[in-house]
Amino acid sequence: MTKMTSTLESSKIYEEQPIEKKGIKGLLKFYLIPGWRNPQFKAREYEIGKLKSKRRMFRRLITPLTITGIVMILFIVFMAVYSPWLTPYNLEQVTRPYHPPDLSYDVPSAIHPLGTTKYGYDLLARIIWGARTAITAAALPVIIGTLGGIALGTFSAYFGGKVDAVIMRFCDFWFALPTFIIILIISPMVGRDLYNILLLYGLFGIPGSARWVRALVLQVRQNVYVRAAITGGAEKFKVMFKHILPNAISPVIIGFFGGMGAAILGFAGIAFLGMGDQSYADWGTDINFGIGHLGAYWTIVWPGLFISIAAIGFMLIGDGLRDALDPRLQI
Amino acid sequence: MTRQAQNMIKYVLKRIVLMIPILIAVLIFTWLLSHMMSVNPFLNKIGATRDRETIERVLRESGYYDPWYVQLGIYLRDFFTGNWGESFVIMDGKTVFQIIALIFPRTLELMFISIIVVPIIAIKLGVVSATNKNKPKDSLIRGVAIIGAGLPIFYIAALTQLFVGLSLEQFTYGLIDLEILGTNNFSLPKPVPFGGVGTGFRIIDSILYNDPIYLFDTILHLLLPVFCMIFVSLSGITRQTRSSMLDVLDQDYIRTARAKGVQENKVINKHALRNAILPTSHMVIAGTAGALTGSLFVEMIFNYTGFGYYMLMAIYGGDYFVINGLLVFSAIIVISGTLVADVAYTIIDPRIIY
Repeated sequence: MTKMTSTLESSKIYEEQPIEKKGIKGLLKFYLIPGWRNPQFKAREYEIGKLKSKRRMFRRLITPLTITGIVMILFIVFMAVYSPWLTPYNLEQVTRPYHPPDLSYDVPSAIHPLGTTKYGYDLLARIIWGARTAITAAALPVIIGTLGGIALGTFSAYFGGKVDAVIMRFCDFWFALPTFIIILIISPMVGRDLYNILLLYGLFGIPGSARWVRALVLQVRQNVYVRAAITGGAEKFKVMFKHILPNAISPVIIGFFGGMGAAILGFAGIAFLGMGDQSYADWGTDINFGIGHLGAYWTIVWPGLFISIAAIGFMLIGDGLRDALDPRLQI
Repeated sequence: MTRQAQNMIKYVLKRIVLMIPILIAVLIFTWLLSHMMSVNPFLNKIGATRDRETIERVLRESGYYDPWYVQLGIYLRDFFTGNWGESFVIMDGKTVFQIIALIFPRTLELMFISIIVVPIIAIKLGVVSATNKNKPKDSLIRGVAIIGAGLPIFYIAALTQLFVGLSLEQFTYGLIDLEILGTNNFSLPKPVPFGGVGTGFRIIDSILYNDPIYLFDTILHLLLPVFCMIFVSLSGITRQTRSSMLDVLDQDYIRTARAKGVQENKVINKHALRNAILPTSHMVIAGTAGALTGSLFVEMIFNYTGFGYYMLMAIYGGDYFVINGLLVFSAIIVISGTLVADVAYTIIDPRIIY
């Protein structure tokens, strides 16, 4: 619909201001001077190009909700990037081995604008440093999970037969397990290091995205151009990653942002249960500190608010992309 | 018997046979997990003894020095003969079956209301949101749904506990504290008399044995946890229903139905909703099994002694028979839940034939 109106508008401009003919003089200039074009025509072309550049997708992408999501994520990213400038405390002064001289669970004051939490750590500093952890926790598992899922899912769908059966049985087995509880059990075994936990979280997300990518690839595989490429003697990997994958990738990109929101929530859950890395400032751990001390309610309310901002921001971006690119997609 | 029903039975039998290899894989996985565990379970079992000989004796008796295939074989045999082991940390001496019988009804009680109530409300909300697209109603529902999806469940639970349990004086940690009702009493006797048969469900027990005070106490304790469970699962189903409903409302047959003069509510409820409900139903049925994870946080915060609570306690304490037993049990629930979902699809959408 919108595409049609845009062509209508451009044709309207074309009709409103017809190019006045300059006869042979204009033609001579056009032919003799290299690069010369009728300025009137040039201006009109520019206007039409501007109309065309407001493409359908972009216009549908910029909705108030999506902008809200982008602003939220920019806010979190800003906090993560400029955290040494935003707070006078170092990361070492608000994490585990260090014991500050301040009171623990203190009320908000001029020195500690949001009060203090367990061991007397400054809550605002912990929240600001925690933004880095949150961005890492959002990006790393989803990147690992998506890349692994793309590789496994494409292999599985393209080769079919035994490979497919083995990978899909493995996915079935994996879906039978409560993944979150398995992570809780394994994370002490790998030493409670932040990157180990995130790696684990990403690896455990692979079967889910593999099954999803497999369904997408199976759809694309039936297209004629794929068969043409196979008939033309293209190599298997070239067919897989050059002909099939680029056509199946857009839902994966959309799922990426929703997955980032879910990853933030999941990692916050692990940290909330006390299985997080204590040497990083982390919002889930902050709630874990505050949960036994409901009297000091600020130690729960603020970190949770920031978790929510990050998660909702990613979810809003994901929803906006879904609505713009592929409204039929169901995530 | 019709041909389709025969096919259906064949399909179900085939799926049940296929469940066995998955179950064995789960068992081997849990066995591996307990081998890699960072807590040495035997030291917990022995207690405070530092006597070298005693430790050696216990380790030899429990098969610590056996080769791995013997250990795995014994583990599998014990599972299929119904000997799932005993707890030695969280509930000393009780078998895993007894623990499951004790705690699983509690979790079911917590989840039951959200299983029943949530789909009804959420599908209604999703339909309203989709039919009033980009209007104030839609914005309101979407806003609430996004808050429910974006806020972590433990944060919602903590906030409810904070503002209802701490700020309002009539509530103390999840129940109304009115003296008339005689509630908030830790020494409230169980309704099942000594030697009587209980179901394990507190509500059913108190109705069976006619104990209104205990019933009231149970319901009041359930209020806040159930609210949290409902709020979180509501948002996911609402969002799903809305997006699939929007997709269906664009289709040609909806326009045809409107053009031939079908009433609007029939268009929505019969033509559109029946086609839009399949992904939602998948989420409801398969998500019920996944709700175990969600209830873990709620149980943790409200000290609700159910499945997730004892799972966590077992993980913290390194009680590995209980961890393995509960993991296998939840895997069985999830596998059978998927089977039920697949069978239910044929009822919801008659076009699907196995």
